[in-house]
Amino acid sequence: MPKKLTVVPERCSGCRLCELVCSIERFGVNNPKKSCIRVMVVYPHPVIRMPIICRNCREPKCRDACPSDAIVANDGIYDIDQEKCISCQQCVIACPFGAIFLHPDMSYPFKCNLCGGDPECVKACPKKALLYIPEHTLGQAHRMESVLKYAHMREVEYVEKGEKKKLRYADSEGSNNVY
Amino acid sequence: MSIKGGYFKKMLWIDLSAEKIEVRDLSEDFILQYIGGRGFGAKLVWDHLEEGRDPLSPDNLIVVAPGPLNGCYLPAAGKTSFVSISPLTGIYGDSSMGGSFGVELRQAGYDGIAIVGRVPRLSYLWIDDDEVKIVPNESLKGKRSLEAEGMIKKEIGDDHVRITTLGPAGENLVRFAGLSSDWGRNAGRCGMGAILGSKNIKAIAVRGSKDLPVYDLERLREVSRESFKTLSRHRLFEFWQQQGLMSVVDYVNEAGVMPTFNFRSGCFDQANQVNGFVMEDRYKIGDAACFACPMACSNVCLVKEGKYVGTVVEGPEYETAAMLGPNLGVGNFACILKANQLCDELGMDTITTGSLIGTMIEALEYGLLSRSELDDLELKWGAEEEILTLVEKIAYRQGIGDALADGSRKVIERWPQLAPIISQVKGLDQSAYDARVAISMALAYGTSDIGAHHARAWTIAKELEMGRNWDLGKKADLVIYHQTIRPLFDMLGVCRLPWIELGFNEEAYAQYFQAITGIDYSLKDLLERSNHVYNLTRMINMRFGLSRKDDYPPPRVFEVPIPDGPQAGKVLSREEYEKILDIYYEKRGWDKEGIPSPEIQKKITA
Repeated sequence: MPKKLTVVPERCSGCRLCELVCSIERFGVNNPKKSCIRVMVVYPHPVIRMPIICRNCREPKCRDACPSDAIVANDGIYDIDQEKCISCQQCVIACPFGAIFLHPDMSYPFKCNLCGGDPECVKACPKKALLYIPEHTLGQAHRMESVLKYAHMREVEYVEKGEKKKLRYADSEGSNNVY
Repeated sequence: MSIKGGYFKKMLWIDLSAEKIEVRDLSEDFILQYIGGRGFGAKLVWDHLEEGRDPLSPDNLIVVAPGPLNGCYLPAAGKTSFVSISPLTGIYGDSSMGGSFGVELRQAGYDGIAIVGRVPRLSYLWIDDDEVKIVPNESLKGKRSLEAEGMIKKEIGDDHVRITTLGPAGENLVRFAGLSSDWGRNAGRCGMGAILGSKNIKAIAVRGSKDLPVYDLERLREVSRESFKTLSRHRLFEFWQQQGLMSVVDYVNEAGVMPTFNFRSGCFDQANQVNGFVMEDRYKIGDAACFACPMACSNVCLVKEGKYVGTVVEGPEYETAAMLGPNLGVGNFACILKANQLCDELGMDTITTGSLIGTMIEALEYGLLSRSELDDLELKWGAEEEILTLVEKIAYRQGIGDALADGSRKVIERWPQLAPIISQVKGLDQSAYDARVAISMALAYGTSDIGAHHARAWTIAKELEMGRNWDLGKKADLVIYHQTIRPLFDMLGVCRLPWIELGFNEEAYAQYFQAITGIDYSLKDLLERSNHVYNLTRMINMRFGLSRKDDYPPPRVFEVPIPDGPQAGKVLSREEYEKILDIYYEKRGWDKEGIPSPEIQKKITA
């Protein structure tokens, strides 16, 4: 079953452990600047933090932009083949997410290869802001949200064992509405 | 013993007056004895004493030093120390900051920066790996910390540059001005912002790309994986992520040691309006963590409605909430957020600010100062508008703010009648735990090398648990152990909170140290070196004439019993304090006047 690396930005604390473990796993060094994931913080008010990740697109722009066919899929995961790469860095610019990286020590750009299917960043994230989930579950949260936002949803409050609870239901008076 | 990792063995020396920038090698002996962070800073400040002792003169040296563990794969590895002679206390001072600034500095290839001198025009330091420049930029003048950070990022054109800035308070030489980086991590105490301000340095910007030297990365990985697992399994781990240090509000108030009305009372009847649950329910919009920290103490808060709508700040943590809340009679969390934001962006220590404003309110109430002396402000407990006005007046040194900006020592010189109501030791205002219930906490404040701060020892919880009749010798031991291990974290460049808050085993730090540096030091060896640094900072303070007479907690601790709450009636006895101080000195190998023995002194001067 194809899986997807995803982010819940609201959970990210900006600790950069994902960057750190990536550099260790991928390049064997303790250097968050050599990682295939990068935490961005908006400013001047740090209201949200978000790790930038490779989406492993089916029709990747990086591949399309590459003049030397260096971006190749292995088991459905795209990576840069250094034998073919001419380091023109067009892929870095072409990626709509900015998820291909460069470093002064490295001759070639580098990108996420999902650690071959078991991403270290996901395991290291202490806030569960990074998830590696079956592709078909993407969008489920929105589907459920959409139901709950349905205009005819009503709420009833009740008390169970001293605890206040809420139950949602759809008002039958609206049953002829088309949503 | 040889050093196989952990250090670049290089320090950046910047003489601003001569515009001279050089990289100096650090000797193995120096590294093996002083470890890093606060240790490097204290030794360099000590060596520099003959050349400059006036904190705000160009001659004063300020050292910025992360430690050898900073930036490495282990929990909460993001602490950096700023060390100098403090303009607030006139003696040894240091302050530490979390975030990623130190990591970046290490990645640029330096174990620290030492700065002396002064540039004629407002400038920032730009450390871009091996290229280091002093960049004049007068458009930064008067800019608030976060705005300045953003401006420099734009000028350099890189969002990943890490920047430490001072705010208007630092430029105006407010003696408790702090430093800010990463949009809200602060080195608040001891006036480090005023020192950089006096040197005309508005900010330090750093970009580094180097691998951090780790001797045995596989070993570090093994040990740390276990550490992260252990922490995440702690029963309070998730609660800690949710509330961070704000969870302390309820504990402290229930224990009856909450600074309330300028430390007069020990519990605040509106504490449940300003605790972690109120924050979570109504204000918190996200978590923030220092480098590699799973605990994510910091809370980003936003006021979504009412008078303070739009106020956004990374904070508050406990000290700030207590000192700008209950200590000033403020029971409105939104107002605390506003005051926190103002202090952060103006670049001032929240603890000192809260203490001084509390003192002014109490002074007016008791008639120790007249309203006209306070610029006719209608200052009283909980008077939000006047309190916020006073915060700004301090930062810009307007009216009464000018006197307060010089800190509690100068305030007492000017108005000696305020001495009994200012909670300070050695000129540093006391942090947010009432010592009247725990003599070990009074000893911790009294003997801390920088003044009344809990960073060196925080023994109040243990003493409350053990009861008042707990042996004085054991209490002194606990203070000394804290004063040895807590500064060790500042030497290594890591945070102490996993240890103090989630009971994380301190032995792990020796394992990290060994894996990273290849130096075969046990925890005991490291603690010995920390103790050496404690003796060193004591000797720095002796050069400024300090001795036993300066090792006492604020007078209120002996004179005014707690009036209400669960600890009503509690006050400390002066005789008992003299006794525990004697015991403490003896255990440290210091004489009755608090002077380290000739053998200890010889080790330092050797």
